[in-house]
Amino acid sequence: MKNPLNPRRRRFLATAAGLGSLLAAPLAAPLAASARTTGRQPVVVVTSYNDETFSRFEAAFEKANPRYKLQLVWRMPHDALPYLRQPAQGGADVYWSASPRTFAALAADGAWQPLGIARDGLPENIGKARLSDADGLYTATEMAGYGFIVNPGALAKLGLAEPKDWRDLTAPAYAGQIVMPIPSRVGFAPVMVDILLQAYGWEKGWATWSAIAGNAGTLMDRGSTFVTDEVASGRRALGLSIDFFAVAAIANGAPLRFAYPAHGGLNPAHIAITKSASNPEGARAFARFVLSAAGQKILTHSDIHKLPVRPAVYRELPAAYFNPFAAAEKGAFDYDGELGRKRLGLLSALFEQMLINSHGELVELWQRLHRAEAAGKNVAAARQLLESPLISAAEADDPALQRQFRNRLEGSDPGSAGASELVWHERSQANRTAAGRLLQEMGA
Amino acid sequence: MNMLQRFLLHVLLGAGLAHQFAPALAGEPEIALREAYTQPLPGLGETDRELFFRGRSVFRQSWVVAPANDRAAGLGPLYNRLSCISCHQKNGRGRSPDGPDERMLSMLVRLSVPGRAADGGPKPHPVYGGQLNDEGIPGIPAEGRAAISWRELAPQTLAGGEKVALRQPQVSFTDMAYGKPGKMLYSLRVGQPVYGLGLLESVPAATLLAMAAEAKPDGVKGSVNEVWDAAAQRSVVGRFGFKANMPNLRQQSAGAMLGDLGMTSSLFPAENCTPAQKACRRAPSGGHPELSDADLDAVEFYLANLAAPPQRQATDPLVALGARVFAATGCTACHRPSLQTGPNERFPLTANQSIAPYTDLLLHDMGRGLADGRPDYQANGRQWRTPPLWGIGLVPLINEHSQYLHDGRARNLQEAILWHDGEARIARMRYAATPKNQREALLAFLQSL
Repeated sequence: MKNPLNPRRRRFLATAAGLGSLLAAPLAAPLAASARTTGRQPVVVVTSYNDETFSRFEAAFEKANPRYKLQLVWRMPHDALPYLRQPAQGGADVYWSASPRTFAALAADGAWQPLGIARDGLPENIGKARLSDADGLYTATEMAGYGFIVNPGALAKLGLAEPKDWRDLTAPAYAGQIVMPIPSRVGFAPVMVDILLQAYGWEKGWATWSAIAGNAGTLMDRGSTFVTDEVASGRRALGLSIDFFAVAAIANGAPLRFAYPAHGGLNPAHIAITKSASNPEGARAFARFVLSAAGQKILTHSDIHKLPVRPAVYRELPAAYFNPFAAAEKGAFDYDGELGRKRLGLLSALFEQMLINSHGELVELWQRLHRAEAAGKNVAAARQLLESPLISAAEADDPALQRQFRNRLEGSDPGSAGASELVWHERSQANRTAAGRLLQEMGA
Repeated sequence: MNMLQRFLLHVLLGAGLAHQFAPALAGEPEIALREAYTQPLPGLGETDRELFFRGRSVFRQSWVVAPANDRAAGLGPLYNRLSCISCHQKNGRGRSPDGPDERMLSMLVRLSVPGRAADGGPKPHPVYGGQLNDEGIPGIPAEGRAAISWRELAPQTLAGGEKVALRQPQVSFTDMAYGKPGKMLYSLRVGQPVYGLGLLESVPAATLLAMAAEAKPDGVKGSVNEVWDAAAQRSVVGRFGFKANMPNLRQQSAGAMLGDLGMTSSLFPAENCTPAQKACRRAPSGGHPELSDADLDAVEFYLANLAAPPQRQATDPLVALGARVFAATGCTACHRPSLQTGPNERFPLTANQSIAPYTDLLLHDMGRGLADGRPDYQANGRQWRTPPLWGIGLVPLINEHSQYLHDGRARNLQEAILWHDGEARIARMRYAATPKNQREALLAFLQSL
């Protein structure tokens, strides 16, 4: 740079002069801001979608519909229920969330107006599950699938193949290796409990859950991201999960796999328009957008990774993207969500008393049982005690009993245990004590 | 495909990162680059992991309008977004709208009027406060919206004939619900990356003062900002924010909780309603304070322990050449490639180590083109803090855009370089006069960070 006649120096000066003018003239001070009114009408959406999901819909919807602006009111499902029961439904135009029970409960209140949206290209069912409400008050917008998040490296170290169904998780080799969400605390988990019960039947279902709980190394009281963290870290080999957190992590490169079990289930999210919507046309425009091909495509972004309800969208996705409509044709989704909905609160409460409280004791008993069985000892009676459900299938069908637990929505404070739970608690403890005594008698 | 595009493909495929387009490759790294801004510092113990995850939950929490049967109650009454992660997506960089019909999703506007507040900082607008809140809880009108239009400037020619046109934002305020704002100062801000901040906090103030006092080439100066520490109740060295107007992570977090989300904390216990905003002042509170100290502790811990992504492909010949061009151009006078952290008892994983943030944390006059004309403590309207460059190469992959600078006006790294003026004028002129192949090497180096 010392020689002023150096050609590079000349280029430097010529270019510098040009850029000098660029950066000086038009930019002397902040430009005066103007003020005007756009008249965008608000559409108030109550939802529990996280920001990664909602903000993408918000940006795309407002771009496509310049007449409207979205206003988001974020509520967990247990809290959305009282919010939407307020006078004028809290000002909400739309409810959009993955909580079938909340939609059903509010439909019973008469909280929704007919959706009134054309359903071209949107099936009414997938497997045995309905995608739209029979009265046309709400409809599914996306689905999440239940299954197993697995760490292939950790499974290989244990000498285990990737599980094909729930029953595979009862193998003694899984001891301490499973992350299990607590159904009373984690939103997606109650349906998961019911999927297995419907798949195997009441008795065998609870027996399977007991053995899986006996293999659980971590009980998770928080969402699926934490299940994924536990498995990704290698601390546990497998987590019971819903697909989108895990599959989004996989799409972003986490060294994991997601396995859909032979007996699967889907948890749909729905959308509804409130009866007292002050902007029903805006609400309808938003619902229409969410269900459109453009809206459904947003769901497949690698940070969201939900399952669209519009089958045509799957044709444009990579072959590896799970297609629940194809799986349903093979019988993967015979789970009936309508059937289960009334008893989900009850199931969570039973699960809590049988498998979560005194979980450490349960784990120890299952390990002793596995060791005894491996040694060829007859410990069938002890096994039966650990596997026995706390109440019969007929008792669980009692609407009065189901009603006691109907408001136990995921994430809500369960309060103190009721009389039934105290009875189950004692029954559960008695079963474990008796099983322990039998094992001891057998030298196990 | 040009040289730079070929290089980028090489970086992505070389690291086994074509996840968006292909099945996972054998031997891929355990931590994928799309999660590179969310990783803890190495050595986090089991108990600390719990606190780290709790802090992550707070950072990702969507806050709820009070009253609510939810520990997250307290959003608003006036706010910008529902969660921290809204503006710092995947802990990375926010973006500006493409045009006036698109709302700001990860960006905000600071407001003030001439003069100083009692603490020495900017004097808030008497009606709209220190920041335009473009959302209000039901029943409380949002303050308004800021719409951005872009004005294309005349293209300029770099050495070798490459033409580059920059764009400049023009702001209009719409739907202002509390009356005409009148004359005010305003400054646009995209959400900043939040990784590596604990390490930057551990750089001793004495180091910043020493760097400011050093003689530097090319007319580069550099000064520290002196800002109000709300907890200590005294002026201290500023180091966070576009104008280094925040003293530490805790105050940065609590300040953003209040300003962006309307969440009060023990550090800032009053709601962000001005006296003129009467309905805002009457709105139900989510608690006193709304953000518990435990949650503030957790989010501070999370941010303090977030690692910055390591450089990739450092030995690639193009990257290595780019690093030399970066230094020869004069960029390292401010974008310092090495800093030393000091002791830190609260966050020991950040202590006593050499880091490569490519910043000096000092304020520099960046010329009239970037000036916002809005003083902030000791920073005048032309000064900006040198932003760290670590992790900058991953913005397109993680944040799915390539906007840079405080208002996202630069549509790629080259445009960001070409906006440098003032103390960086000579370095920018050198860049513009550098042959194209060396400019591409410099950009490849930045992409490797």
